Amino acid sequence: MVLCFIAFFVFAVMSIFSAKYRPLAKEGFRCVFRTLMMKPCDTGLDERIKADVVSAVLKYSPPLAKVINGHFAALSWLFVIITLASFAYTAVGVYNFYVYGNCDGPQAIGACILNDITGDYGRFSEPTDLIPPTALDGMAAGNASANVTIIEFGCFTCPYTKKAESTMKTLLQRYNGTIYYVFKPFPLPNHPYSQDAARAVLCAYRQNKSWELQDEIFRQQQVCSEEGALALKPLAQNAGLDMAAFNRCFDNNETGAELERYVQEGRDAHIYATPTFFINGKPLVGPKPIEEFEKAIAEAGG
Amino acid sequence: MNGIRRDFPLLGANPQLVYLDSACTSLKPAQVIDAETSYYTQLGACGGRSSHALGRKTTEKTEEARENVARFVGAEASGLVWTRNTTEGLNMVASGLDYSKRRKVVTSVMEHHAVLLPFMKLRDRGQIRLEIVGCESDGTVSAGRWAQAIDRETALVVTNSGTNTTGWKGNAREVAKIAHDSGALICIDGAQGVAHGRTDFRRDDFDFLCFSGHKMLGPTGIGALVSKRQLLDRLEPLMSGGGTVKAVSGGKIDPMNDQTRFEAGVQHYGGILGLAAACDYLKKIGMEKVEAHEKTLGMALRRELEAVDAVIYGPADAAGHSALYSFNLKGKPHDLALMLDRQGIAVRSGFFCAQPALEALGANDGAVRASCYVYNTVDEVNKFGEALRKLRQLY
Ligand SMILES: Cc1ncc(COP(=O)(O)O)c(C=O)c1O
Repeated sequence: MVLCFIAFFVFAVMSIFSAKYRPLAKEGFRCVFRTLMMKPCDTGLDERIKADVVSAVLKYSPPLAKVINGHFAALSWLFVIITLASFAYTAVGVYNFYVYGNCDGPQAIGACILNDITGDYGRFSEPTDLIPPTALDGMAAGNASANVTIIEFGCFTCPYTKKAESTMKTLLQRYNGTIYYVFKPFPLPNHPYSQDAARAVLCAYRQNKSWELQDEIFRQQQVCSEEGALALKPLAQNAGLDMAAFNRCFDNNETGAELERYVQEGRDAHIYATPTFFINGKPLVGPKPIEEFEKAIAEAGG
Repeated sequence: MNGIRRDFPLLGANPQLVYLDSACTSLKPAQVIDAETSYYTQLGACGGRSSHALGRKTTEKTEEARENVARFVGAEASGLVWTRNTTEGLNMVASGLDYSKRRKVVTSVMEHHAVLLPFMKLRDRGQIRLEIVGCESDGTVSAGRWAQAIDRETALVVTNSGTNTTGWKGNAREVAKIAHDSGALICIDGAQGVAHGRTDFRRDDFDFLCFSGHKMLGPTGIGALVSKRQLLDRLEPLMSGGGTVKAVSGGKIDPMNDQTRFEAGVQHYGGILGLAAACDYLKKIGMEKVEAHEKTLGMALRRELEAVDAVIYGPADAAGHSALYSFNLKGKPHDLALMLDRQGIAVRSGFFCAQPALEALGANDGAVRASCYVYNTVDEVNKFGEALRKLRQLY
């Protein structure tokens, strides 16, 4: 019976540590072999497992024991399938971790999801849905006339945007002068104070200090998400901003309309998660490993 | 029966165990184990051959044992042949008789495979005609059925003095009479009968009686074929070898003329001493007491089985059963036995080496069997009932 597959595996592993389980592993192997040969398992191992399980459950819950006893074959199939599936998932995860540095693989969302049920955007959830933006305005760094342009839509209170920031910094250093980087704020409505943080960074950009404030915000991301403006102002101070100008800009919502334009641009691009990158138009969603970016940059001729 | 349990080391070592599989094999008291070991520690030699002191002593002790065991079943020592078990005895009778004048053998569907198979083999080889008498729906085989089948062509009738399927004690004495009336011989499978009630070979006028030590508190690997002395001479030995001849010389065999003719090779002396000790042990209790105790246990078993609406095979009243019951609940017999085992109760499941019998009883998928012996208590039967009530919740 199917249960032998699991029994064989489990006992085989256990018998590595204790000789006591070796006969059981052998029995499980014989059973597996016979099952594969389409012959009934003749060692009685499955029956003994059933008796063990049902008797154990019977002590605590006769009705549950009755269900298990009555549907043991079906339940063991289910159990086997779940176990095999979880083995498979684990194997894929281990492979991904080895190859991509994360368990979810190259297509991993690992990003902050836009959860805007009022807009049309919930319809989009695949990189293929994305439409590369054409405008290059935004908070820029690098060489404006470089061959490769990386556009990022990010949210300052999104942990994944924060995670991608160091990758961007490394890339800017590594490809010094050969890439152009444009950050477009795309505050997610479901993240508290994401709008305030974005407006604040836009105000800092007016003083050419957006990186500095951005760094401060990412460092204190948790506090920003909890306290909003109350936390942002001291951070602006830390970032070395001209506070009078900043306060004026921030308190009067001077960057509000500008932010709205970026958001609209993101919506037009069908952004559904942050951070989303376009490397010469090719989308990457989430803080992908740096190798992925390097690959995309190479493909884009960088 | 008080204090008996203390004699059984296995019960001492497993105080929680409820052993209800004595029909398969019984537990052994220390007296039997000690007697068996005494051969190895005190005798250790060949019997019936070596003339040194230990050899003589071995012969003496095992011949004493022969007397003792023969007496236990009401027979002459000169008619007792040591065997490994009941099966061997039955095979010796089946293959040793001459079927040239009368070709027919009559037995019943309620017999153990140990009875059926040797004769089915002879039938398939064309050496005998085999008639297998059917049973009533309760597994009993009436005298009328036997009388109808046994005729002047019949060489041998084989039946049991206690079944291992329903616990019915049978009517061996009556069948023996019917056989003799037609001039046929009677062979009794006493595997259960000898262990659970008084057997009187002479009084019941049996011709052959086979039994095993291990079902009657004795060691495994030892049993006996008891025969009327003059019939032994008509039996062809199944095996020959050392100890079965007076001389082999000039290319000629001069066989022994007593039962040692059948005892080829060095014998299981330890087992023989153990079996004699088992007979002593049972005699000390008294077979009447054993039967009375089992009657009490049988009634308790029946009560517990009825309480869970079990399908009980065999006679409808407790009087027809020994303390042995085969039954079924809704689940598969094997599953039930395994789950009883998880509650510390040892029972047997399946066909009990008597598949035709179980099929005749309507238990086509086998059954569960609970069987008691001298060391079991009503308390244990109650525990068994409690476990059954729990298991019934599963269906
Ligand atoms: C009725 C009956 N006959 C014969 C036998 C065979 O006995 P053994 O296996 O000791 O030869 C048994 C034992 O299961 C039995 O119960």
